[in-house]
Amino acid sequence: MSRRAPLRVVGQPVPRVDAVEKVTGRARYVTDLVLPGMAHAKILRSPYAHARVRRVDTARAGARPGVIAALSGADLTWCDPYFGPAFRDRPVLAIDVARYEGEPVAAVAAVDELTAAEALDLIDVDYEPLPAVSTLEEALAPGAPLVHTGEPLAGHFADLATLRPQPGTNVCHRFQWARGEAAAALAGADLVLEDTFRFPPVQHYAMEPHAALAAWDETGALTVWAGTQNPYSVRVELAKMFGVPLGRIRIVVPHLGGGFGSKTYAKLEPLTAALARATGRPVRLAASAAEAFQTVRRCSARVSVRVGLRRDGTLVGVTCDADYDVGAYADIGPRVVQKGTYTATGPYRVPHVALDARAVYTNTTPGGAFRGFGVPQLAWALESLLDVAADRLGRDPVDLRRQNLLAHGEEFAPGDTPIDGKLEESLGHAAQAIGWTQTGAADRGRGVAAMLKASVAPSVSEAIVRLHADGSVAVLASAVEMGQGTRTVLAQIAAEVLAVPVARVTAVPPDTAITPYDQTTSSSRSTTMTGRAVQMAAEDVREQLFRVAAEHLGVPARELALADGAVVAAAGRLAYPEVLAIRFGMSGGELIGRGVVAPGRTAAPLGGSTPFWEMAAGAAEVSVDEETGAVRVERYVSVADVGRAVNPLLLEGQDEGGVVQGLGHTLLEEMVYEEGHLLNGTLLAYRVPRADDVPRALECRFVENADGSGPFGAKGAGEGSLIPVSPAVANALARLTGVRLRDLPLTPERVWRALRARGSR
Amino acid sequence: MDASAAREPIHLVVNGRARDLAVEPYALLLDVLRDDLDLKGAKRSCDSQVCGACTVLVDGLAVSACTYLAVEADGRSILTVEGLAEGESLHPVQRAFVDAGAVQCGFCTPGMLLTTRALLDENPAPTREDVLHYLRGSLCRCTGYRKIVEAILAAARARGQASAPARVE
Amino acid sequence: MLRPFVLHRPRTAEEACALLARLGEDAAPYAGGTELLLLMKLGLLRPRHLVDVKRVAGFDDIADGVRLSIGAGVTHRTVERSAAVQARCPLMASVARHVGNVRVRNVGTVGGNLAFADPHSDLATLFLALDASVELVSPRGRRELTLAEFVRGPWETARAADELLTSVRLTPWPASTAAAFVKFGVHERPTLGIAVALRLDGSGTGRARVVDARIAIGCVNPCPARAPGAEARLSGVALAELEDVAGEAAALAAASADTADDLYGSADYKREMVAVFVRRALRAAAARARGVAPVAGFPHTIVA
Repeated sequence: MSRRAPLRVVGQPVPRVDAVEKVTGRARYVTDLVLPGMAHAKILRSPYAHARVRRVDTARAGARPGVIAALSGADLTWCDPYFGPAFRDRPVLAIDVARYEGEPVAAVAAVDELTAAEALDLIDVDYEPLPAVSTLEEALAPGAPLVHTGEPLAGHFADLATLRPQPGTNVCHRFQWARGEAAAALAGADLVLEDTFRFPPVQHYAMEPHAALAAWDETGALTVWAGTQNPYSVRVELAKMFGVPLGRIRIVVPHLGGGFGSKTYAKLEPLTAALARATGRPVRLAASAAEAFQTVRRCSARVSVRVGLRRDGTLVGVTCDADYDVGAYADIGPRVVQKGTYTATGPYRVPHVALDARAVYTNTTPGGAFRGFGVPQLAWALESLLDVAADRLGRDPVDLRRQNLLAHGEEFAPGDTPIDGKLEESLGHAAQAIGWTQTGAADRGRGVAAMLKASVAPSVSEAIVRLHADGSVAVLASAVEMGQGTRTVLAQIAAEVLAVPVARVTAVPPDTAITPYDQTTSSSRSTTMTGRAVQMAAEDVREQLFRVAAEHLGVPARELALADGAVVAAAGRLAYPEVLAIRFGMSGGELIGRGVVAPGRTAAPLGGSTPFWEMAAGAAEVSVDEETGAVRVERYVSVADVGRAVNPLLLEGQDEGGVVQGLGHTLLEEMVYEEGHLLNGTLLAYRVPRADDVPRALECRFVENADGSGPFGAKGAGEGSLIPVSPAVANALARLTGVRLRDLPLTPERVWRALRARGSR
Repeated sequence: MDASAAREPIHLVVNGRARDLAVEPYALLLDVLRDDLDLKGAKRSCDSQVCGACTVLVDGLAVSACTYLAVEADGRSILTVEGLAEGESLHPVQRAFVDAGAVQCGFCTPGMLLTTRALLDENPAPTREDVLHYLRGSLCRCTGYRKIVEAILAAARARGQASAPARVE
Repeated sequence: MLRPFVLHRPRTAEEACALLARLGEDAAPYAGGTELLLLMKLGLLRPRHLVDVKRVAGFDDIADGVRLSIGAGVTHRTVERSAAVQARCPLMASVARHVGNVRVRNVGTVGGNLAFADPHSDLATLFLALDASVELVSPRGRRELTLAEFVRGPWETARAADELLTSVRLTPWPASTAAAFVKFGVHERPTLGIAVALRLDGSGTGRARVVDARIAIGCVNPCPARAPGAEARLSGVALAELEDVAGEAAALAAASADTADDLYGSADYKREMVAVFVRRALRAAAARARGVAPVAGFPHTIVA
C-alpha cells in the first residue's frame, strides 16, 4: 500500500545534504586530511615519451636529511609492482622502460613536500631514448616501435576473458561484433555514406587533482584515504599488489573534487601505499593539476562509419571501424573501446551491423574512462553522418531520426535489455524547445543529435540501511559523492521508503570497512543500482517494523503503513523509537536492512544485460563569426530520458555541467602532442569552458515515464547530456554554413579553414 | 640555507582574528592558511592563477593564495570561506549558492563564494555581464555555471533588498 | 610550492639596483609575482634572491603632469580605477580592466608585466601604440627607452641585470583621438592583440581627418610591433572614409606581421586574423570617435 502513496521526497528539488559543509569550507577532501607522523610524497617523472631506463640511482636523494624513503621501480621487489583493471600492464614506478612523458620513474617520501621535491633533483636516471609512437597512424604503421613487447597480464575486470591483445602489434584489444549481413545490406542500400571522424584526447580536469593518503597499521592492515570513484576496485588492486586479504585493506573516500571518470580504478593509490610500506609512516601524495594531465585522459579516436539507407530513409546497415588511442597503458581503455563500440549504431533500429574496433597503445598519457565511456567518440561520427544522409535524401534530420528510433520494448541486441525509454519524446521536446520548425534568424543554424549508452553489466551494488533507536536512519552504501549528489539521492530514497525527513537520514561516506560493496561510481549507475539497493534495504527495515508492530498491535502487517516516522494502523500509531523499544525490550539495538542488486551474467553480447539504457537528445543553435571561424552556441537544449528525476535540481545541475563539458571538447579542448611531448599540459595553455562560454540559453529537461529499473522508476543520467553536444553543434554549423567538420574540437582556425575551402557564398 | 633562520614574523587578521606567525619568505599564503592555520577551505587546483579555487580576500581584494607570498599579507586582513558565515548563520552569498543548486563537488565553491563577495562589495548590483567578467578567472568543472551565475545575481538581489529602505506598498 | 629564496625589500631604487648588481644572475626583481612566481613554481626559473620593488618610493605612484606616468609597481586594478588614467587615457583604463583575471589585476603590476615581456602582454602592445616610454634606473643613472627599444623579443628586454624599470610614461593623445584595443583568442592568454590610435584634426565628425595613426600588433610577433605601412595608409584619411580604407590598411598590417605556427594557431591563420582585427579595431575606434558604441559581441573577442 505504501508503494501507491504519492511520493513525498523523491522527485523533490531537495537541497543537497552536503551543501552547508561545502559552502562553509568544512567539507574534507583527501588533501585536507592529516595524520600524525605523515610524510609527503613527490614523483619524478620521465621526460621522454619512450626510453629505456637503464639505471635509477636514488642514493643521494635517500641520504638527504628529511627524506624517509626514495624508491625506484627496481626497489619494488617486496610487492607485485604492476596494476591495471583490464591488463596489469602498468608498473607502480617504471620498470626498465618508461612509456610516456610523465610516467612515474621514482618517488620520494619526506617530512614535507619541499624536502621531497628537492630530493627529486638528487635522483640520477640514465635514460636511453627510444623511438616513440604518439599517434594512431604511427602506432599502427607496419614495423612501428612497440609500446609493450610482452603479453600483458590479465587485470581484474569481470569480463577480462573477452579481451584480445594482438601480440607483435600495438593493438591491446580488438572488439568485433556483427549482426545480420552488413556488407550485403550496404551493397543493396539506395544511399551509402562513408566518412572518417576524429575525436581529440582531452583532459577531465576535475578541479581536485588525484590524491591519496595511505597508512599501514601495527597489525599489517592498510588504510587508504583516496579520491577514487571505486574504492572496491582499488582494494582489489592493492590486495593483489601486497598479497593481503581483501578484509585487511580499507579504502575510505572523503569528498571528491570532481571525477568524470578520471578517478575510476587505481591511479596513485598503489604508489602511495608502497611508499607508506617503505617508510613505515602514513604518506600523502597530492598530485598537481599538471600531473593530472600525466595520469589519465579521454581515449582519442579515429572512427570510420558507413551507413546505408533506403530511399525512404530507413537505415538498413551500419559498419563502424574505430581505432581508439589508449595511450601507454591500457587502464580501462579496452572496456571503453568495447562498450563504446557496442552502441555505435546509436538509438536506431539497424538490422545489419558490423563493428570492428581496436584499442591501440601509443607513447602518450594513458587513456581511460571519461564521461561517456567511448560513446561520445562514436556518436560524433554517426550523428554527423546521419545529418549528411538527411541532407542527401532531402529529409528533415529530426524526422529521419524519428523514423529510425528504437521503440520502447524493442530489442537492441539479442539477449540484452529491451529498450526502456521513449527517445522520440526526448527528441521531440528538444526539437520543439529549440524552435526546430520555426523559421530562425538567418545568421543562426540549428542542429540536433541523439544518443544511447549502455551501463556497465554485469555489476553489483549492495546497501545497508540502519534504523537507530531514536528513529534516525543511516544509509551505508559505497557510491562516491563527487559532486553529482549521490549522497542526497540515496538519503531521499531511504527517507521516502521509511517516511522520515531527509534531515533524519545520514548517508555514510564510502569506507570499505563499513559500507558494503559497490562496483563503481560511474556509468551513470548509482541512482539505479545503488539506489535500488538502498530502496531494498529500506524496504527490508520497513518489513521488520511491520512485523514487530503487527504483533504488538495485533493487526495483519498488510494493514500497516509508514508515515511521519511511525508505523500507522487504523488502531493507532507507533513511533519508530517505540517499535524498537518493543523489539529489543530497551532503548538500544537497531533494525538493519539489506539490499543487494546483482543481475548477474546473461547472454547479452557484452556478458551482462544493461540495467538501463541511457538516452538523451540535444539541440543546438549556433552562430559563427565567419571572418575568424569562431563558433558560438547561442542556445542549447538537452532532454534526457531519466525514468524519474529523484532530485530534479541536482539532475539539472549535473546535466548542465555535462553540456558545458561537452562544449569543451566540441569547441576548445585538445591535448596537443608533438612527438610524444605534451604541449599544453597546464591550464595556461589548455582551455576548459568558462562561465562566458555557456550559451545564453541553456536548458536541461527530462522525460519522466517512471519506466526505469531503478528506484521509483528512475534510471541513470549524467552522461547523456554530454554526448549529443558535439554532433548537435556541428550539425547546426553545417546547416548554417554548408560546412561539415570531421575533426574535433571545432576551433576557430579549423572552422575558418573549412569556410575558406568552401569559398564565400 | 637554513630555512628556519630565514623565518619572518608576520601579523595577520584572519577572519577577524589576530594571528601572529613566523613564516619562510617563500611560503605561499595558501599553504600557511591550510597547514599552519588549519583553514582548509581554500583549495589548490591549477596552481597558476587561472582557476580561482584558492581565492581568498586580502584587505577585501580577491587574490590567488597559491601565488601570493604569505609575507605579503603581513599587517593585512584576510577573509577565507571559513569566515563568511556568522556563527551558524550563512552569509547571503552562501545561502544563494545552496538555494540555487550552485554547489556540486564543492572544490571550486570556496573560491566562487569569495569572488562573489568581492564582486558584490565593489558592485552591489552587477549585471549578468559584470558577473561574467568577474568570473573569467573562476573555473567550475561540475556545473554548467548557469546556477552559479544565478546564485550570484540572487545574492545581489537579496543584499539589495536587505539594505534597501522599507517601502510602503 | 616554491623553492627557498631570500627576499630583499629595499626602500630606494639605489638600494634595489645595488642588490641586483651584487646578486647578479641569482636575483630577480619581484613585484606582483603573477608571472615570476608562476615560472618559479613550474621550475622554469629558480632565483635564489627576490628583490621586492614594491616598497621603493614612488613605484606605486600615478603622476599626472604634461605626461602621464605610471609607477612600475602600480597594479592593473589601480590603473583601471585611477581617475587620472580614466580622464587622460581612457583606453589604458579599459585595457587594464581586461588583463588576466580579477586576481591577477589585483596584484599584478604594470612594471612587472612590461619587464617580463611575455609576447602575449596586452600592455606592451597598448603602450607601443601610445608612443609610451619606460624609465630605467641603475647605478649608472636613469635612462628612458621607447617601448620598441625596451622590448627586444619574447621574454627579452633591454633592461640590464642591475637595472630597474621605474615607470612607464606617455603623453596622452588628445581626447578626440579615436582609439581601441581588441584582443582575440580561446586560450588563457590571447592569440592576438591589436591597439589602434588615430589622432584627428578635429572632433569626431565625419570630416575630421587622421593626422597621425598608430597600429600595434601583439601576440603573433616575437614582440609587439607597429604596422608602419598601415599607419601611413591611414594618414590624411577622413573619418567618414575610414571604412573604405580600413580593409587596405588591415591588409598592409597583416603583411607586416611576422607570424609563426604555434599552439595558438598557424602562421597563415594568425596573419589573416591580424587583418580581421585591425579592421575591427579601426571600426571600433572610428565608432567611438563619432560617439557611437562600437560593434561588439564577436565570439572570443574583447573590445577594450
